[in-house]
Amino acid sequence: MNIETRDSDGIILVSLSGEVDLSHSAGLRKRLMELMFERRDVVVDLSAVTYVDSSGIAGLVEAYQMARKNNTRFVLAALSDPVRRVLQLARLDRVFTITDSAEAALKG
Amino acid sequence: MTQPPVQTSASGHLDLIIEMTSDFAQSHDIEAILHLGLKRVCERLGAEAASLFLLEQDSGDLVCHACIGPTEVLGLRLAPGRGIVWRSIDLDTPQLVRDARFDPDFAVTVDEATGFVTRSILCAPMSFRGQKLGAIELFNKTDGQSFTSADGQLLRALAMSSALALINTRLVAGMAEQEAFRREIALASEIQRAMLPPPQPAASPIHGVNLPARGVSGDFYEILPLRDGRIAFAIGDVSGKGMNASLLMTKTASLFRCLAKREDGPGRMLAAIDSELHETGLAGMFVTMVAGILDPAAGRVILANAGHEPPLLRTRNGEYLPVDDGMPPLGIAPDLFADGCPESVVDLDGGALYLFTDGLTEARAGGGAMVGGDGARRLLDAFAGMPADERLQAVVRSLDGIGSLRDDVTLMVVEDRRLAAAGVFERRYSARPENLATIRAEVTEVARELGCSAGLVQDVVLAVDEACQNVIRHAYRGGDGDIVVHVGREDDLLVIRLMDFAPPVEVSKIRPRPLDEVRPGGLGIHLMRSVMDQVDFLPPPAGIGNLLQMVKRIDTP
Repeated sequence: MNIETRDSDGIILVSLSGEVDLSHSAGLRKRLMELMFERRDVVVDLSAVTYVDSSGIAGLVEAYQMARKNNTRFVLAALSDPVRRVLQLARLDRVFTITDSAEAALKG
Repeated sequence: MTQPPVQTSASGHLDLIIEMTSDFAQSHDIEAILHLGLKRVCERLGAEAASLFLLEQDSGDLVCHACIGPTEVLGLRLAPGRGIVWRSIDLDTPQLVRDARFDPDFAVTVDEATGFVTRSILCAPMSFRGQKLGAIELFNKTDGQSFTSADGQLLRALAMSSALALINTRLVAGMAEQEAFRREIALASEIQRAMLPPPQPAASPIHGVNLPARGVSGDFYEILPLRDGRIAFAIGDVSGKGMNASLLMTKTASLFRCLAKREDGPGRMLAAIDSELHETGLAGMFVTMVAGILDPAAGRVILANAGHEPPLLRTRNGEYLPVDDGMPPLGIAPDLFADGCPESVVDLDGGALYLFTDGLTEARAGGGAMVGGDGARRLLDAFAGMPADERLQAVVRSLDGIGSLRDDVTLMVVEDRRLAAAGVFERRYSARPENLATIRAEVTEVARELGCSAGLVQDVVLAVDEACQNVIRHAYRGGDGDIVVHVGREDDLLVIRLMDFAPPVEVSKIRPRPLDEVRPGGLGIHLMRSVMDQVDFLPPPAGIGNLLQMVKRIDTP
């Protein structure tokens, strides 16, 4: 797994790539929670994620809950097939704010 | 010429007694010591000649083992009866004969044969606490006088200390013999172990393991690939224990190998071994044995059983069916197997056939109760998720661990590996997060090979990954341990089993989170249940590990 973050006009774009499993999910969670504590608006680009499991999803859920509390934006963008499948299975596709592309999310 | 001063009391000759005792202590050559001792006694008492007789256990005769003086009587035998030596032994007292000519028990034959003229005789029994070993006899004082009763007391004391020393020396020799016997047993056990088949390759459909309870085992097993691709196998248990049992075992195993190479059926093999055992005439010993031939291509086993524990077929559904047709043991009566031995045909059909000796069912569990047939089944269930070779080791080790083995344990498994040949996957991993990627990659490959569509492969891999996570996080709780992952296809079902060796996890605590509750955690089990048709935590078998089974129907396109 690889995490890249960049600031795009005040919104933080987090680009995830590779496999997000138990050996990486703690790193993802830490990064997301840092951003949440800073009360940043966050868009997570998931287009290059080849695999995600429940531990990776758990990190996203936790960030989502915190953003709601903080009244900040937390958007999942450009879901790859594996990510979409797992979110569907977990019925979380109806919970997260999801956009087709990172650009759309940043504009929105 | 001066004679040494003749001391008359035994206590005055303590130095001699000590010398003789120390001679005995320092050497194991009994004959040499007896000769030296007799020489010392002869000199001290001033006798012209002396002989030492020992009782021979088997014949009851007295045999001369040492002799001093002009007459050589070494090896002379005195059958029980009259004579001064026998009188001394029978009465267990010294015999003093001042003039032999007037003693009715004196045998003149030796004098007549040798020309020696016996005048005075002193004879004392070598005995200790009623144990009679022999006697020392002295002839003629060198000073021409007769022996005295004081001489008698001294000789009695010397003879008694010789007897004691002799008893000790024989004890030591006995111990040395026992030690030699122990070494012999160790050697025999080494040879026996060398005779057992070497560990089979993991992919072999037949595996066996033997754990001897003591040095030498009466159990054996054989695995012998035949030229036509079939595999002959046998398991057996020889009556009795120790050396004889092990020699009979060696013989039976060798016979089996010869006969199997001739590709006879198992029934004919057992009949031939029976007849050979009768010709050897090992009275009172018998052999229980199962011989069989596996046709791996058909998943079919032909079996013959002579008095052995019925083999147990564990079907692919986990049911147990004993195969209990059989004959009495081999070596009982010469005509029993005149018409051969009946054979059973077992179709493995994805199951596994277990063969074992009674050491498995009669091993004692922790509480002292026998493991028994049910216990054996529980153990086999407990390790069902493991590769066959490791499974057998694990079963036997858990027996060894739960109590002292009373008997040898031998366990074999004959498996239907046709599924394996078609891509059944079974691999053991260290339960660490960093291994998950490897597990996913390997399961992806096997799921594809087993005919899963791309989407199904993705789901299956997710389920396996989630299950492994559960093991890592909840079963081992971050500690070290292994996971065995088994993926196989049974007809149109993809069957995945995960086995761990952690303390049992309370199944009731593992449940999917309610779907309307958005929170991290509890998601893994939900994902598993979502993608698979069936997810079952099989009851933690015998307190060892956890077994999870997931099943998914593979839709044929």
